[in-house]
Amino acid sequence: MPRRFGPYGGAYVPETLVPALTELERTWRSARRDPAFRAELRRLSRTFGGRPTPLHYAPRLTHRAGGAQIWLKREDLVHGGAHKFNNALGQGLLARRMGKPRLIAETGAGQHGVATAMIGAALGLATEVYMGEVDMERQRPNVERMRLLGATVRPVATGSRTLKDAINAALRDWIANVRTTHYLLGSAVGPHPFPSIVADLQSVIGTEIRRQSRAAFGRLPDLVVACVGGGSNAIGTFHPLLRTPVELLGVEAGGPAGRGAGAASLTRGRPGILHGAYSYVLQSPDGQVSDTESISAGLDYAGVGPEHALLKDTGRVRYIAVHDADALRAFHWLAEDEGILPALEPSHAIFAAVREASRRSSRQRVVVTLSGRGDKDLEVVLRAARPRA
Amino acid sequence: MVDRARARTLGPTVDALAAAGAAGVELGYPFSDPIADGPTLSAAAQTALGHRTGWSDLLAAATTTSRRLPTAVMTYANPVWRHGLDPAMAALAGAGATGLIVPDLSLEESGPWVRASARHGLSLVLLAAPGTSAARVRRLARTSRGFLYLVSRYGTTGAGSPAAARQLRAIVSVAHRAVPARPVLVGFGIRDRATAAAAFAAGADGFIVGSALEERIASGARPRAIGAWFRTLLPTAGAPNGRGTGRTNSL
Repeated sequence: MPRRFGPYGGAYVPETLVPALTELERTWRSARRDPAFRAELRRLSRTFGGRPTPLHYAPRLTHRAGGAQIWLKREDLVHGGAHKFNNALGQGLLARRMGKPRLIAETGAGQHGVATAMIGAALGLATEVYMGEVDMERQRPNVERMRLLGATVRPVATGSRTLKDAINAALRDWIANVRTTHYLLGSAVGPHPFPSIVADLQSVIGTEIRRQSRAAFGRLPDLVVACVGGGSNAIGTFHPLLRTPVELLGVEAGGPAGRGAGAASLTRGRPGILHGAYSYVLQSPDGQVSDTESISAGLDYAGVGPEHALLKDTGRVRYIAVHDADALRAFHWLAEDEGILPALEPSHAIFAAVREASRRSSRQRVVVTLSGRGDKDLEVVLRAARPRA
Repeated sequence: MVDRARARTLGPTVDALAAAGAAGVELGYPFSDPIADGPTLSAAAQTALGHRTGWSDLLAAATTTSRRLPTAVMTYANPVWRHGLDPAMAALAGAGATGLIVPDLSLEESGPWVRASARHGLSLVLLAAPGTSAARVRRLARTSRGFLYLVSRYGTTGAGSPAAARQLRAIVSVAHRAVPARPVLVGFGIRDRATAAAAFAAGADGFIVGSALEERIASGARPRAIGAWFRTLLPTAGAPNGRGTGRTNSL
């Protein structure tokens, strides 16, 4: 398990957390080799999570693009409505293996919070979720879901009151309660070994894409697209494809057009140290982390997973930013063309996939990871003026 | 906490602390995401950044305080990294600072920082915590310069539950045996005579007071009152283990 991805990654943490990170790495190393652990993870992924998720052809969206075929990797069909389940289940089982009776988590859009609350309930672990007040307001349905699942939602009123601040609050809780608590970090960010564990647990997405695309059209896709906030669904999508010729595209949140950097850390940030890792960070010339802006709470984050930083530098993955209005367009396209309400996070990826497909021949295949469903976003979408198609 | 709005009162406050018996001063430089800090210092950082406090204010503050007391700067890894390790450390040393404390810099990541600080004559202070193993305490004591900062509790600055006295005593003794010349100072949660005395009782060479001092400065207490309060933390003459080395944090 690499501590660094090129120059990126590492564990920049207060000393109090070091023993817990060491224990977590040791436990994960033994668990991933333990047939009983793997069997339980596989079984619960299937019977509780609903895996494998289908690879679904989108004929009318393909027609709209007028180029390459567009296929959807349906992570929106995972239990809870997003890919977050894959990671929460695995880490929940790890927490139980370590004998930690309490889970804490951060959440932006609420999807990771919901996933953690579900796992906490199913495994009988007390669960507390930190969420920025701005995000609680714009993702209210998920707040209610977490509460119904028995979790305590802790509002975070500091800083920009979004995902970054929720992570700060969760880290502070962990520092105080590290002996009894597992921090179930929801994205491929944070100190080593979190980025590697999350990538391992999410790689089921890319592994299934490989198998299913061979079954569906006899070969690997030409292009695979995923949205990137912290980057967990993207790293899980890309990881099993890194050593193939498949072209990979990561899509960040560009925020409102013509105003600021949005939340596009890879395309508009610089390397820095945030939440325990060295990676690309949106920051001021003085090294203060910027407040971000995006229509999607799940992508609204100033940092990004360290492995993405390396993949950007090496050029293996191309990263672009898509603005709020274009993500909204894609939301409506998928709803009306395919009968699927996507979350606003993957709507960024859908937009990029349609644009890419439109420039390619009809013989090409584009797969886009539909990382979550859009029920949580109805209020935001209904409030936003509908952009012209 | 360094705050542009407090530049004028900084000198008199440090004078008062020096007169009251403080042996050094720790300047907190605000960071947007202070994960090791509790409510008091987090709020102070947010306020200072709201006042547009920047790197030049830190250098000015260090110039002011280092004329009066040995000065260590406490800030997070990113602001230093962003200015470049060598330029940042050269600037801090040039302003008179003698120490640098980075609470989110782990021993594992400290290599380049240790080398850069040595090049510029700055002491890079590392932190140990209640859960740190004996082997690791020894490595920390050997790598740390100036002193070893012992976090007294599981928790952020100013908050959390204190570790068992026995645990702290064991860490101090391991560190002292590994490097007898390296003082161990205890911080996090020191706020009155009892908590300060607990640090000495654990065998520490001194204590660091941060949040409790910041609360007084933020509430507008005058330098003289701050000095008088600080004096109440120090062991009375003849007290056991009363080596009397106080350090003050976070002006």
